[in-house]
Amino acid sequence: MVLKHSVRIILVVLSVVVMAGVGLVVKAQLIPKSFGLYGPYRADAIDEEGQRVLRHGTNGSCFRCHQYEATIHLKGEHKTISCEFCHGTYSDHVSNGRKMANLPVKKGTEITTLCLRCHNTEIKARSTMVIKTVGMPDHLKKQNVKLTHTCNQCHHVHAPLKYINEAKKITGLMEKRP
Amino acid sequence: MKIENSSKDMSKSDDFSASTNKNRQSSPNLKEISSRFIDPSPDMDKRDFIKKVLNGAIAGSLFLVFPMSTPGGGNFEKNSTLKDGVSTFDPTIELPEEIPGIRDQNYDIHKHNFAFIVDITRCIGCGSCCVADKREYNVPDGNYRTWVERYVKDFDDQVYVDCPNGGLDGYQKPRDDIPIGTRDTFFVPKLCNMCKEAPCVQVCPVGATFLSPDGFVLVDSDRCVGCAYCIQACPYSVRFIHPVTKTVEKCTWCYHRVRRGLLPACVEVCPTGARKFGSLNDENSEVYKILKGPGVLTVLKQSMGTLPALYYMGQRLEVV
Repeated sequence: MVLKHSVRIILVVLSVVVMAGVGLVVKAQLIPKSFGLYGPYRADAIDEEGQRVLRHGTNGSCFRCHQYEATIHLKGEHKTISCEFCHGTYSDHVSNGRKMANLPVKKGTEITTLCLRCHNTEIKARSTMVIKTVGMPDHLKKQNVKLTHTCNQCHHVHAPLKYINEAKKITGLMEKRP
Repeated sequence: MKIENSSKDMSKSDDFSASTNKNRQSSPNLKEISSRFIDPSPDMDKRDFIKKVLNGAIAGSLFLVFPMSTPGGGNFEKNSTLKDGVSTFDPTIELPEEIPGIRDQNYDIHKHNFAFIVDITRCIGCGSCCVADKREYNVPDGNYRTWVERYVKDFDDQVYVDCPNGGLDGYQKPRDDIPIGTRDTFFVPKLCNMCKEAPCVQVCPVGATFLSPDGFVLVDSDRCVGCAYCIQACPYSVRFIHPVTKTVEKCTWCYHRVRRGLLPACVEVCPTGARKFGSLNDENSEVYKILKGPGVLTVLKQSMGTLPALYYMGQRLEVV
C-alpha cells in the first residue's frame, strides 16, 4: 500500500510537470516574439505600419523635375495647393525614381468644377479671410465675357492672377475695388 | 439635431471601385477549351512554326524600341538618381523632409510626441483631405478614415449636419432644405483623435489595437479578429471594418509618412492650413507654438475623459 501511494504521488507530479511543459511550449509558440515589449500588444506591428508603401509625395518632390511649373506655382496665390490633388498621386507617376506613367491634366469644364470646389460663394461657409469666392454666372457677367468661358481662359490655374497682373501692367489700368 | 448621410456617386476621375474577379475565373476554362480544340489538328507543326516566327519578330522589334525609350525625356533625366542604368531609390532626395528630427537619428519611440490641430475657422470644405486620404490608403467606397462635416445653423437654433459622400466630392451646392434663413455655416474635419485613454484599446479582446509609445493608436491587422467591439467603443466613430480583409481600419495620422519625416497626406494637401501637424519636440513647429501660446484649444467630447491628442481651434458649441 505504501509503495502504491508513492507511485501515485510520482504519477501526479509527473503529469503536472508534463502538462505544464506542454502548456509552456504551446504558449511560447502562440505568443508573437515582440509581444509585451511596450505593452500587451505585438510591438512589431508598429514598424509594420511604419513601413506601409507611400502613395503621396510632397510638392517638393514634384518640383524636383517640374522646375518650370514650380517657378509659376510658387509665385502665385495657389502656392499652398498640392500638385497631387488635381493631378493624381506621386506613386502613380514615379516608381523607383523614374517616370512610369503620365498623370491626367484637367481640361475644359473639369477645371471649372475643380475651381468651384473651393471658390463658390453660394456655399456661404467660406471665410473671406481665407479664400476669395465668386458666384458663378454673376462673375462672368460682371467681367463681360461669354457664359461658356472656363476659369482658365482668364486665370492661370497655377497662379490665378498672373495674366491679370500682366495685363494691368501693360495697359496701366488699375481695377477699382468696391 | 438631425444627421443626414446622403450618398452621391463619386466623380469619374476618382473611381476606386474594387475590380471584379470574373475575368480571372473565366480564363482557365477558355484555355482548356482552346487546347482541346487545337491538339487534334493536323497543322500543329505549321502553327508552331508561325507562332515562333511571330514571337521572334515581336521580340526583335521590342529590342529595337526599348533602348530608345529608357533614358527618359525632358529635364527628368538631369535630376534622376540613376547610376549605371540601375535606379537607386533615395527617399531623402525624392521626398524632402517636412518634420525635422526624425530622419537624422535613430528613431527613439519613447521620446517622440506629436500633435494634430484642426483650425475650423480656416476650413473651406474643399474635400482635398478626404480625396488624399482615399488615395493614400485605397479606402473602399462607403468607408472613410477622415471626413468633413457641414454644420448649418438656422435662426431657430436648429442645427443641420450633413456629409455627402464623406466630403469626397467637396461641397458644390448650398443646402436648400432649410425653411428659415441660415445663421451660420461651417465645416468640421473629423479624424482619429488618438486618445491617451483610448476606449477602443481598452475593449480589444485580442490586443490588436494599442497606443504606441509615441502616441499613435494603431491596429495590428494580423491580430485583429474583426469582432467590431472597438467600433462600438469609439466615441468619434472613426473605425470601420474593411470589406475585403474583414479587419478593423482607422485613421493612423499617416504613421508611415510620419516615420519617414513627412506630414500626413491630409495635412500635405490642405490648401488653407486648416489641418496642422507637427512634433512637440521641435520648438519651431507651428503646432508647438500654438500649444504653447494663449489661443483657445478644445477637444471633442471632453466629458468622455478620453484625453485626445487632436485639438480643435475655433470650435463651436454645436459640434459633437
